[in-house]
Amino acid sequence: MRPAALPAAALAALLAGCAGSPRLAEGLPAAAPRSIELAAVPFHPQEEFQCGPAALATVLGASGLAVEPGALAPQTFIPGRQGTLQVELIGATRRHGRVAYVLPQHGDALVAELMEGRPVLLLQNLGVASWPRWHYAVLVGYDAERNVAILRSGREQRLEMRWQRFAGSWHRAGRWALAVLPPGAIPAHATPERYLESVIGLEAAGQRRAAASAYDAAIARWPEEPLFWLGRGNVAYADGDPEAAADRYLRAILLEPRDAAARNNLAQVLGELGCADEARRQAARAAELAAGTRLEDKASATLAAVAAMPDFECRLPGRNWPD
Amino acid sequence: MRIERFRRACVALVSASLVSLGMQAPAAAGIVGTAEAVAAAQAADPLVTVRGALARDDVRERMAALGVDAAQVDARLAALTDAETALLAERLDQLPAGGDALAVLGIVFLVLLVLELTGTIDIFKKT
Repeated sequence: MRPAALPAAALAALLAGCAGSPRLAEGLPAAAPRSIELAAVPFHPQEEFQCGPAALATVLGASGLAVEPGALAPQTFIPGRQGTLQVELIGATRRHGRVAYVLPQHGDALVAELMEGRPVLLLQNLGVASWPRWHYAVLVGYDAERNVAILRSGREQRLEMRWQRFAGSWHRAGRWALAVLPPGAIPAHATPERYLESVIGLEAAGQRRAAASAYDAAIARWPEEPLFWLGRGNVAYADGDPEAAADRYLRAILLEPRDAAARNNLAQVLGELGCADEARRQAARAAELAAGTRLEDKASATLAAVAAMPDFECRLPGRNWPD
Repeated sequence: MRIERFRRACVALVSASLVSLGMQAPAAAGIVGTAEAVAAAQAADPLVTVRGALARDDVRERMAALGVDAAQVDARLAALTDAETALLAERLDQLPAGGDALAVLGIVFLVLLVLELTGTIDIFKKT
């Protein structure tokens, strides 16, 4: 090497040393393709300040629901804030019978969703921490060769953003990303706790049919988790099907015999179904298990209520109820 | 800020007294909701749900003041859990509100560029 080349090489090494955030190709999981683009994802150009409704219409559309941003604005937009809050995007997703699942805060989760063919709604801070510019966009793909994220954003149907800039803007927005799922679809990296939280939200919003499908899918994926059986039982009960509810509560109890909530609920439906003896036994067990917990009052109230219920012909004969 | 802190203290106080009242008041018999069961299993802060329930009126009023159609507010809040409503009650004015993708000012662009070149933001998991 000629002596004159040395300073240049040193400078290059120095620059490489502080090259900053890594390129997409350096972080992309080995199992992921080099590029993905979900070209069929619809596009809704945003009105002023309304990137929230536009982005939500985009992901709802991709999940099979054609909704116009104009219909979503009254459900999500806050004029005085000139924008949309994250929790209200979640609420509006539930109102459309879709599961709102907040993804874990790493790029692998974004890539995994794209690999399932689902776009991801995410929050970006296009400014800096002390001067934030909040913006919602939809990630529809990436290209590791060209080092870009591909977005539906604002009025741009296909925005290519340099990967480091995209990653930085997402990072500065707390790495918030939302998967909008048809009930039955579960993200590859989902945990039962987080998925349960999503379905409870759907149930709380009164979307019983969607919640039932989501619970069924969760039970198929995590059959050993008693809370999904409990939730499915609660939806069946709300739907006016106490027999189905009783069977679900029974499964929850078999998996977790100390589950006071499932015992309490089983006692309630057994009482309604005329199986008063067994109802009293389960209610007593629930009250015992709930002692000292937040369910204590409810369980004692249920015990008192079923004790007063008349015994008529039990509509669930021949079951082996747990001790 | 001080008013905010005072307001929060009031909410906590009222919530706490309601919770202690709840100890004496008879609870309704019947089904334990899934959210309630999870909160009990996780021994979550019992104040969160109480606070959320109390906060609904407060949030409704403030959303209307921010220009949300009064006829829409109830349906919007009905889609949220108690914990989410409590979050709105506490931080309605500070939570990020995604709006426009405004053109970034020159000085901010420079700051961003420096951040990108010097900071190391790696969003992928290290394996």
